[in-house]
Amino acid sequence: MRKPTTSPVRTWGASLGALRAALSAAVLAVFLATPVLAFASEELAAEPIAAADEASGIGLLIPKLGEWIPMLLGFIILWIVLAKFGWPAFMGMIDKRAATIRDSLEKAELAKLESERLLAEQKAELEEARHLAAQIVADAKAAAEQTRAQITTQAREEAQAMLAKASEAIEIEKKAAIAQLQSSVADLSVAIAGRVIGTELSETQHRAVIERYLAEAGSLNAN
Amino acid sequence: MPTDRVQARKASVIYAKTLLQAARTSDTVFEVADQLTEVLASFRAAVQLREVLFDASLDAAQRRALAEEAFAGFDVALLGVLGVMIEREDLGLLAKVSELYEREVEDALGIVIIEVTTAVALDEGLREAIRAKYAAQFGAKIALRERLDAALIGGIVLSAHGKRIDASIASQLERTRVTLSNRR
Repeated sequence: MRKPTTSPVRTWGASLGALRAALSAAVLAVFLATPVLAFASEELAAEPIAAADEASGIGLLIPKLGEWIPMLLGFIILWIVLAKFGWPAFMGMIDKRAATIRDSLEKAELAKLESERLLAEQKAELEEARHLAAQIVADAKAAAEQTRAQITTQAREEAQAMLAKASEAIEIEKKAAIAQLQSSVADLSVAIAGRVIGTELSETQHRAVIERYLAEAGSLNAN
Repeated sequence: MPTDRVQARKASVIYAKTLLQAARTSDTVFEVADQLTEVLASFRAAVQLREVLFDASLDAAQRRALAEEAFAGFDVALLGVLGVMIEREDLGLLAKVSELYEREVEDALGIVIIEVTTAVALDEGLREAIRAKYAAQFGAKIALRERLDAALIGGIVLSAHGKRIDASIASQLERTRVTLSNRR
């Protein structure tokens, strides 16, 4: 919450009025006091002790009465002229300057308020942007985590499938090897058996085998 | 409308009957049957001979001369029928002619021809045993066509009228081998 402040424009206007009053009072006091001081000098000059210093010292600075009156009249005329024409122009210029400064200060005040408003807006936007950025980062992290999980799952599944295929292939190869071995063993055994039988059987035994097989043979008459 | 197959069968029957008639005249019925089987086996085994005799670019007379040269010493009636088949481009019917010839022989003589294959030669006792067994089955006299094949190792293979009984040791060993190979 902002504290209430005194406007600098009002402060400056008050100071200017006070200055003007003080200046007028000082000028009037000097003019009123000057003849008294002059007459006092005249009275002192009349004294015998100071007679010796009449032609020198302060007597040289103090005008004679006969000179003082025209000077006073001249000064009064000058003061009247200045008061009539110079002072209003001067004060007008001062007032104009004060108004310009006051306008500038008001503009500065408005600009300050505007800048404070813009600053507040920017702060709000910055906060919103920060919040948005945080949200984006969180979303990105979540998406990355989800992707990582998907890749991990997929890789695990692929690895398992490859493992299963490899096991299957190994099993097939094993069976094929066993079958081939069995076949080879069977071929070899039968070949050996055939050779042994062919070599070992005598003609009589051959005929006995034929006789036995003939007895077991079925019909040739298909009809 | 007769198809090609019917016409081919008719032609085969004519060749078989002609051959039988000629063989009966010269009393070489069984010899012709054996020789016919041998010619057929030669055709199946000798690719070059088959190609030459089936080569349409050669003159029929040339091919006939080649056949007579290849089967020199065979029955004259058989060589004559072969020559006619070559000239008429009917050599592809030879297997059918052979089969029909045996049927014609069986019908004409009232017998059944059984082909007997063994690893050792049959003796008279075995021949009589075979004849006795199958004469009862067919109700006809049995004629044996004997063949030797050491690859049988032992036992006997019988075939007649398109049916075959394999009672050889070789086939039994083969069955054993298959059983052992397929056992899990």
